[in-house]
Amino acid sequence: MKKREDPTYQLILSEIEREVQIHPDYADLQNHFGLLWMVGGEMKKAEKHFLEALRLNPTYREANFNLGCLYLEMKRWEEAKKIFLSEARRFPKDGFLQHVLAILFLQAGKKKEATARIFRVISHHPFYREFYQKKGSWQKGKMILDLKAERVLKKISSNYFHGQYHNFIGLCLARKGKSAQAVKELRKAARLKPDEMIFHANLGTVYYYQGAYSRAVREYRKALKIDPTYGMGYAQLSYALGLMSRTPEAIRYMKKAVQLNPRYADLHYNLALLYSDRKRYGEAVSELKKALQINPEYLFARINLGVLYEDQKKWKEARREYRRILQITPDDEHIRRRLERIS
Amino acid sequence: MLKEDFIIQSHLRKMLIRSNINYSKMDFGTVKGVVYLRGLFQVASHPAVGEEEQEREYVVRTLYVFEKKIKSLPGVTDVIFQFLNWRKDKGQWVPVEIEKKEKEDEKKRGSDVSANFE
Repeated sequence: MKKREDPTYQLILSEIEREVQIHPDYADLQNHFGLLWMVGGEMKKAEKHFLEALRLNPTYREANFNLGCLYLEMKRWEEAKKIFLSEARRFPKDGFLQHVLAILFLQAGKKKEATARIFRVISHHPFYREFYQKKGSWQKGKMILDLKAERVLKKISSNYFHGQYHNFIGLCLARKGKSAQAVKELRKAARLKPDEMIFHANLGTVYYYQGAYSRAVREYRKALKIDPTYGMGYAQLSYALGLMSRTPEAIRYMKKAVQLNPRYADLHYNLALLYSDRKRYGEAVSELKKALQINPEYLFARINLGVLYEDQKKWKEARREYRRILQITPDDEHIRRRLERIS
Repeated sequence: MLKEDFIIQSHLRKMLIRSNINYSKMDFGTVKGVVYLRGLFQVASHPAVGEEEQEREYVVRTLYVFEKKIKSLPGVTDVIFQFLNWRKDKGQWVPVEIEKKEKEDEKKRGSDVSANFE
């Protein structure tokens, strides 16, 4: 079925159209609207919305990539080259960028430069060596840049924006509570572009909310293998492992999330809960204090801290925390009772 | 019963995201099996938009279901609701006029300040 005849596509297109009318200044909406038009084959409309997204946010990388892919599809090589060369200077390790540059060099008859770009991809992402081997374009340590290879390269570019499309549809469906359909779309996205961290992370999250924790863990791990600096990915992985009662691993990954996002009070709070559940009170107190340093009005962290002091019979410290809570929320009868009990 | 706060907190987060509750203005925490919820309780979308009475009934129904679900989580021993716009009074959920509450709080703070000066 063509995308334009797909009822899900139609439904989401009309929803986004309405949203764009309400919020014409949201770059994100303009980009997604452009993507939907592009997948539906309406190239001129797609270009208009990608350009609008970039006018609203000139550093919007995804919109710039989409516009570049659109120019590739439209065979507007020079405009595509301009976009991808400037992005490749900023992100030299990005495999997709090196691929599209290889296409552009091939187009210009510069096989040597195209090969160099592909070697660069393979050195940063060994996964692609296997990919080219399967397609028959990588033989005895060499890339065979024939017509078939050219088709394979072009497929990578079209897979990129189709992947973006399925990811976006998957997220829309997940927001509507249609998690089985969302999983289907997100899996398509991850199949089209297996080295895209966010596709695996999103798939992991939908599995997590479905209660399919093992699958969620598998996808989060894939996402983190691609981008080991994705701090929130470690936190999500920790939540899933926690629900599987794999606490030591949950602690390890939450610690990693905290290391990567040291200014995020909520992560310190969650790490404190993990420690406190294991009766590692000293470490729990230390994390709660860090959360409170970041946000002194973080009430739950203060309540936890008071209760932990109580557990350790540190009455003076517990009273101090409860009094601080009552300064913020004088109506909290629960805390007032706790304070009275130890006063 | 196990009182693993991290697990309760994770279940709660999952429950909120999968519900029709707009949790963007709500905070929650878990302390030794006791769940705390604060902030504004709002539903993400009403089935009967514009009809005030039906909207209110829908929010009340959502609150009851939400409360029941939290209490059914393994390890939860109590739930403390500290919403600014809804409170439980004799087992019934009743809306709180935020403006009125803010004025009361202001008055209270004012008398606290004058007490400090006395």
